Amino acid sequence: MEISDYLRVFMDECQEHLQSLNSALLELESHPGNAEILNSIFRSAHTVKGASATMGFNKMASVTHAMEDILGLLRRGDLEVTPEIINLLFDAVDVLEVLARGIPEGREADIEITGILQRLKEYSSSEQKTPTAKDRRRKLDLRYTKEEKEQIKERLTETKKLYHIHVFLKEDCLLKGARAFMILREVENMGEIAKTIPSAKELEDEQFRFDFIIGLLSEEPVEKVVAAIEKVLDVEKVEGTAVSIDEIPDERRGYGDFVLQEKKEADEPAQSRLGTTSLTVRVDIRKLDELMNLVAELVINRGRLEQISSELQNRELEESVETLNRLLLRLQDDVLQTRMVAVEHVFSRFPRLVRDLTRRAGKQVDLVITGADTELDRTVIDEIGDPLVHIIRNALDHGIEAPEERRAVGKPETGRLEVNAYQAGNQVIITVSDDGKGIDREKVARVALNKGYITEEKLAEMSEEEIINLLFLPGFSTSEKVTDVSGRGVGMDVVRERITALGGTVRVTSQRGEGTTVTIQLPLTLAIIQTLMIEVGSEIYAIPTTLVEQTISVNRNEIHRLHQQEVTTWRGEVLPLVRLQDVLEVEDAKNLEYDELDVVIVRNGERRLGCVVDTLLRPQDVVIKSLGDYLGSIPGIAGATILGDGRVALILDLRNVA
Amino acid sequence: MEENIREKGKEREEVRDEELLQLVLFRLGDEEFGVNILQAREIEKLDQGLTRVPKAPPFVEGVINLRGEIIPIVDLRKRFGLTLPPLGYDSRVIIVEVRGAPVGMLVDAVVEIIRIPVSAVEPPPPITKGVDAQYLAGVAKVGDRLIVLLNLDKALSPEESQELAEAELGDA
Repeated sequence: MEISDYLRVFMDECQEHLQSLNSALLELESHPGNAEILNSIFRSAHTVKGASATMGFNKMASVTHAMEDILGLLRRGDLEVTPEIINLLFDAVDVLEVLARGIPEGREADIEITGILQRLKEYSSSEQKTPTAKDRRRKLDLRYTKEEKEQIKERLTETKKLYHIHVFLKEDCLLKGARAFMILREVENMGEIAKTIPSAKELEDEQFRFDFIIGLLSEEPVEKVVAAIEKVLDVEKVEGTAVSIDEIPDERRGYGDFVLQEKKEADEPAQSRLGTTSLTVRVDIRKLDELMNLVAELVINRGRLEQISSELQNRELEESVETLNRLLLRLQDDVLQTRMVAVEHVFSRFPRLVRDLTRRAGKQVDLVITGADTELDRTVIDEIGDPLVHIIRNALDHGIEAPEERRAVGKPETGRLEVNAYQAGNQVIITVSDDGKGIDREKVARVALNKGYITEEKLAEMSEEEIINLLFLPGFSTSEKVTDVSGRGVGMDVVRERITALGGTVRVTSQRGEGTTVTIQLPLTLAIIQTLMIEVGSEIYAIPTTLVEQTISVNRNEIHRLHQQEVTTWRGEVLPLVRLQDVLEVEDAKNLEYDELDVVIVRNGERRLGCVVDTLLRPQDVVIKSLGDYLGSIPGIAGATILGDGRVALILDLRNVA
Repeated sequence: MEENIREKGKEREEVRDEELLQLVLFRLGDEEFGVNILQAREIEKLDQGLTRVPKAPPFVEGVINLRGEIIPIVDLRKRFGLTLPPLGYDSRVIIVEVRGAPVGMLVDAVVEIIRIPVSAVEPPPPITKGVDAQYLAGVAKVGDRLIVLLNLDKALSPEESQELAEAELGDA
């Protein structure tokens, strides 16, 4: 591993811990007395402190250290959990986030932290520290409760003795958790672990400084145990002593991890302990991209192989190609699966966001999140966060009313904001709904008219939903008046742009006085999309099926001209037509001579466009490839894909053609 | 060509003290051009279908699939505004890296790979063999041959291409 790899691991972990700090603090706010939550906050802060100090990010280490002092006081009950303290801790986490963001740019050391340090220290120094607790933190001590002692005594025999093994890891050890885990495994081979401090779980999660004590029941001589541990990498020193159980003072409350009890009840203790640690590996997303590319290559080559095999008509060859086919499908599925991440990664920052925004605005809102375990491709997850934050912000700023206003219209004072995710086919749907005042359609229509986006005639034809979705028009929302009155629209065009770029769609429904729902539809994965292959002249193109409303057949007698524009009627509406050869500069197109024309109807929001092609070929899943910087910005072309015969076909984005 | 390379190898021994530049020599029409071999990734025959890209700059012939990578193909002759007969049997694509991205240069023929001393390279005159100096890195005299060295970053950069495309449109 190079240092940059360590840095990436550190950043990942740091993000996770900051996230869990945020959510744990939120929980603590609603359950101020809960010691378990306090402990988890303490552990997260402690881990960040240790890791940042190791990596040399001293400011981060100082802030977490100061936080830890306060958390220590809270844990011991020397300080009470008050709203001020919670806010202070939230502020500290915010500073940590700023520091964390500064790290990749090398700015961590330049960020000012004296303010927050001073505030943190004011609290921790104003209280008397109890020396006993402090000692315990500095010096590890393994003790047992009365019950635990009983159970150990039952197991002691002539030859079986109780050892306390104090293991010190090197201070520069970077994989403490893994080392501790290896040591525990090593020790388990030589006897029974009675108890460890910190607990085995904490050890594996790196929730310890550099040393820990194992209480071991073993028939082996203590020297042998010590020697075995010393062989593990990164072990600085091991002190092993045989102890007499009666000489150890009693522990009053459960501390550390007593495991013998579990052993008595369950027959497979080692496994049950292992079960609590999830066996996962962190992988660079680029590696997964590479893997995906290789699978795509295989898929393309399979096409060639299938072709050859069908020409040769060799039974054995056909069978093995068939097997290859099945394996490949599974491989493709598995690789796609590994790229999937739960939307929880994005959703988990919403509680904090909602808390802060509602406080500032003096509103009361219950946030209800469902379906957080719905999975999406990692690339989509990374992109979806900002648009969602935007939508939530809108709902809180402008959708949900202030408590007095709600009371006046007979609604409960506390508003409700629901974020829901679920999978439907190969799409994921995310909805954000509020029970606020909804969108004023008339205002939206008026502004759209005033700004010249639509005409009176067109407006008269539009459905209520179509009118509301005018909000997504670029530049619509810049009007202060609209945002004040209708509530929505701040940068909704940007939201739509981002989601469209991901191959998704977004739409708004709203009932005046009852609330608003924003529905986002996203593809499960970006790498492979469903397309419709079409032919124009001698060229083959792919159209993403998400954009295709329907394919129809139109007789040339049904085509009319309306101001230079070919149109036909479809479902009682006027459908503008475009010959794809005109858009794509194809010279050998044949559809002008046809009587029956194949037309692909593509949808862009509320507008529809009929694209006349020569031939509809087939639906096909394709792997999207970028055209690269050189050609990347050609309007109407979303990318390219490689066909079974090795040729390149372009993927069309026909939304902005009309 | 192998023999040629071996011979050049001997030559290199003789001028070991001097810094050498290794070039891929190719022809556009009858003129010889060279690019630094460090920038050339591979040389391919254009034996597969080229996919035309609508609305691409006029000198971009299209894209090809090179082992799963989509690579744009630039016709240098169109790029430099040279009027030449259509590509023949000897034509090749030289895949080069421009700012980290692969681009294929369509040439009439790849001639050889040679080494020349860096000192033989001189700054280009304003127009050499009909090619604007902004696309050139220099000219080198090797015996009685005049080799024109391309500045690939300039000759193939998409931004420059854009300008040129606009200029051509303006002219038309």
